[in-house]
Amino acid sequence: MLAEQTRQDLISHDLANASTPGYKADRTITSSFSALLLKDASSGQPIGALGLGARIEEQVTDVTPGPLRETGEPLDFAVQGDGFFAVRGANGARYTRDGQFQVSARGGLVTASGDEVLGAGGQPIRVGPDGTVAGTEIGVTRLDAAKRAGDNLFTGTARGASTAPVRVGALESSAVDAVRTMADMMGSLRAFEAGQRVITTIDSTLGKAASQVGGI
Amino acid sequence: MLEGLRAAATGMTAQQQRMDALSNDIANVNTTGYKHERTRFRDLIASPTGLGGAEQVGAGAGAAAESAGRGWGQGVLQTTGQPLDVAIQGDGFLQVKLADGRTGLTRNGSLHIDARGRVMTAEGSFLQPPVTLPEGMSASDVQIASDGTLAAQGRPIGRMVLVSVTSPHKLDDTGAGVYTTNAASGAARAAGAGTTVAQGTLEASNVDLGDAMVELMAAQRGFQMASQAVRSQDEMLSIANGIKQ
Repeated sequence: MLAEQTRQDLISHDLANASTPGYKADRTITSSFSALLLKDASSGQPIGALGLGARIEEQVTDVTPGPLRETGEPLDFAVQGDGFFAVRGANGARYTRDGQFQVSARGGLVTASGDEVLGAGGQPIRVGPDGTVAGTEIGVTRLDAAKRAGDNLFTGTARGASTAPVRVGALESSAVDAVRTMADMMGSLRAFEAGQRVITTIDSTLGKAASQVGGI
Repeated sequence: MLEGLRAAATGMTAQQQRMDALSNDIANVNTTGYKHERTRFRDLIASPTGLGGAEQVGAGAGAAAESAGRGWGQGVLQTTGQPLDVAIQGDGFLQVKLADGRTGLTRNGSLHIDARGRVMTAEGSFLQPPVTLPEGMSASDVQIASDGTLAAQGRPIGRMVLVSVTSPHKLDDTGAGVYTTNAASGAARAAGAGTTVAQGTLEASNVDLGDAMVELMAAQRGFQMASQAVRSQDEMLSIANGIKQ
């Protein structure tokens, strides 16, 4: 039940971010705790395995690209294909697929939270006098083990430049698949309910054992 | 236990904020010089999940919406034939003096003349530097060149200054289509040569009604999805409560 509760929390987060540009949904891998082997204490004969429940063992960010949406804004960018924009903020290097950038007071290209967007050579980008930046100026990095860091940013291991082109005037929509996520939510809810049934069944068995064993 | 419930609720709040911005845009579809609002979504930081997951598994805290300034795309020019209507083409603003003495920036070029011949905007702010019509002249005697020079019956009487800022997304909005500069937007400076004014026209609102309606529907569905997540979380809590018979 706890694993399903956690899964439901992750699903809620996905659904809340159905409109967040460049958002990537999470996939979870649930696995059971290692089972114990029950043995008859007197004869030593094995009875069978006893499972101790399940938990979410791994959380994988699904980096499948979301659909691109035209916005017509000169400082909106989207990576067509694999790769992330590299940005530099107060916490060091971060990566993002949210290309809703702005121009800073000093004329540099920054994210909405003020982190510098980096070019292919890792240098900050200056916005041209006409208020535009060519898509080729912006660096796209391939990223391994992408992990969410909040604020549409990811951490991970950079694996060199990606050849994916950058489209100007478009944003990548959230990659949350509404149908799949809703179905997952319902499935998880029912699994949770099944867990509750197990508990109440065990409870009533114990209740019977306590009150009826020894009765006539 | 209640984190998921909160995460889902933040999604509803964020969509609500987007709907508010869109409603404002739709209400201003006919406002001269209006620029549509942009809403930005971001995901909130992840936190450890406790017993239900391994240590490295983190559940996010939902989404937040915030204003990302305005979309500064050019609005369509509408011909009005009024001599004191000007539309700005390209980046830039007219500079006006607000009632409280601050300098304001606006793209609403629907100008008027007060009783003393001073040129003012529709909200009653004077151009800065001020331009005054010589006595005996009326609005129909005014010619405005594309660089902003005003002339009355051929004689120059002043110039409307066109300015732009480095980061227009960060301008403070004082309402009524007037903006003020701040440290994040950078100071106002003379606009580039690409910025011109066109006499006898006004710049229409750049709200695309079709886009705004589609966005509104998307926001509504996003809101609905987040509310389903709230319901599902609620049902889970109720099932958990059902353990105790």
